[in-house]
Amino acid sequence: MSGGSPEGDPVLRASGLSVRRGGKTLVTVDRLALYGGQVHVLLGPNGAGKSTLLHALNGLEQADGELVFGGRPVRSGRGRLALRRATAAVFQKPHLLNTTVQANVESGLRLRGLGRAEARSRAAEALDLLGVGHLAARRPVKLSGGEAQRVSIARALAVEPVVLFLDEPLASLDPPTRRALVDDLLRIFRRSAMAVIWVTHDRDEALAVGDVITYLEAGDVVQTGPALEVFTRPATTSFAEFLGLETFLRGQVVSGPGSATRLLLEGGAELFCADAPDGPAVVAVAPEDVVLFTERPDEHAASLRNVLEGTVKAVAPAGRLLRVDVEVGGLELGALVTRAALEDLGLEVGGAVVAAIKASAVHPLSRHESDGGADTRGE
Amino acid sequence: MQLIWEGFVEALRLLLGGDAALYQIALRSLWVSGLALAAAVILGIPTGGAVALTSFPGRRLVVAVINTGMAAPPVVVGLLVALFLTRNGPLGQFRLLYSNWAMVIAQVIIALPIVTGLSLAALQQLDVGLRQQIAALGANRLQAFFYQLREIRVALLAAVMAAFGGVISEVGAVMMVGGNIAGQTQVLTGAIVQETRMGRFANAIALAVILVSLAFTANVVLTAVQQQGRRV
Repeated sequence: MSGGSPEGDPVLRASGLSVRRGGKTLVTVDRLALYGGQVHVLLGPNGAGKSTLLHALNGLEQADGELVFGGRPVRSGRGRLALRRATAAVFQKPHLLNTTVQANVESGLRLRGLGRAEARSRAAEALDLLGVGHLAARRPVKLSGGEAQRVSIARALAVEPVVLFLDEPLASLDPPTRRALVDDLLRIFRRSAMAVIWVTHDRDEALAVGDVITYLEAGDVVQTGPALEVFTRPATTSFAEFLGLETFLRGQVVSGPGSATRLLLEGGAELFCADAPDGPAVVAVAPEDVVLFTERPDEHAASLRNVLEGTVKAVAPAGRLLRVDVEVGGLELGALVTRAALEDLGLEVGGAVVAAIKASAVHPLSRHESDGGADTRGE
Repeated sequence: MQLIWEGFVEALRLLLGGDAALYQIALRSLWVSGLALAAAVILGIPTGGAVALTSFPGRRLVVAVINTGMAAPPVVVGLLVALFLTRNGPLGQFRLLYSNWAMVIAQVIIALPIVTGLSLAALQQLDVGLRQQIAALGANRLQAFFYQLREIRVALLAAVMAAFGGVISEVGAVMMVGGNIAGQTQVLTGAIVQETRMGRFANAIALAVILVSLAFTANVVLTAVQQQGRRV
């Protein structure tokens, strides 16, 4: 991440952009702007239209609406070619040409009319930057998945693109390879002024690399903003679910004196919650924000404003952690604990437990579906 | 058995003795089929590319015609070419019937669908993602086409081999439009037919050995080129 604050004009800007195929609209974007030095993540589930949008922004796919690159509108096939020649793209598969690694990395430069000698030296630089200089003489069939993707990225960076398009670049790599590549990419991005647009369906990857996140669903932009803000304040239930939030509570937000905003739950209970306008609301609580105790926490845990007594309903494995479902006065909360913590607490199904949640972790969704199903409030 | 053995011995003598007539026929065969193959490659690969990489109404029909052409019987091609080139035919004014050019034309028509059809199939099988990657690398349409050809070069060589095998060994068309005239339009296949008919088995065997050697050598060379890419 490279600071992330947009400076000056966007490098690439889309307004009212939509891609149609066979009479169906695949993706629509009202406004999207990419700035130099910023990693903009397009996040969303499979089929959300992320890749289609990326292709439209890269000039690979024809789209309706306005696309402005470097202050100039991109309209014709020639405009799209100029856009592709000023940018570079890496896809999920490395798509290396059946020639040597060196020639692969030179290819983008040669297509832009660079001389053999200059292409050679710039390709060598790019390969070294990605730590794969020693593979220059190899053929792609002799590379591992991680090596091949590094070569593909080197090939993209060799042309010194104004915008780098990455379409699920890590999706076919194993976790250690992925982590090493993310570290290297972030190091490269920090020293570069290029704009990066990174498509992923992986929320952790999005948070690890993104300065700005745009979340898409079913071809529409649901939310866009600074990464941390988008992650901590998802706008809709489905996005919150996508982010792994499982507990949703319905009620009325009532602002109290000072900063004490409360949510009056339908069952009659109430919770302190993050600030939100008064009125009907749905709040989301992340399981990692629910802290479990065997008895009421003392003074040092005073910031945990919501302290609720209940019983353990179920314990189930959730990756390396355990998920504990707690029933509190008619509502159900999910909490994540380590195996060691479960033993320390001596929790078992049917036993008593105290659940504590910070007010700031009770997050009212800015757009939620009321009983009628329509959005009741915009941000 | 005696006859076959004597035939082989005599054939060997002809081959090693440098029989002029024999080698003239072989050279003519190479010239006619080589030229036809070159024309088929120059026309066929761009045509295959155009059909594979674009969409237009009637495309399926065009593909069907190309695929049918790949299996066209040489005698039928010979008949069609003869009909066009005969004195009263549409192209009769050029007086091409019973010339080497007539044989070249017939063999182009035999080889063209093979080169076109096989390069079309190979281009279509190319990963769509790779095609997008080539465009994303900054290739214009022409550059993208040549990059894709480079990716299917092994399949293209197979197409060239198949087409060469098809034309060097066909007998129906060359005899119909060339006339199998000794010393003028006789190629290896036609000569083998004639010598066998006349009972000159030694000559026929010598010609057959040359024909098989030509086909074999051409394929060995092409295979060597093709397999080069596999070495790492």
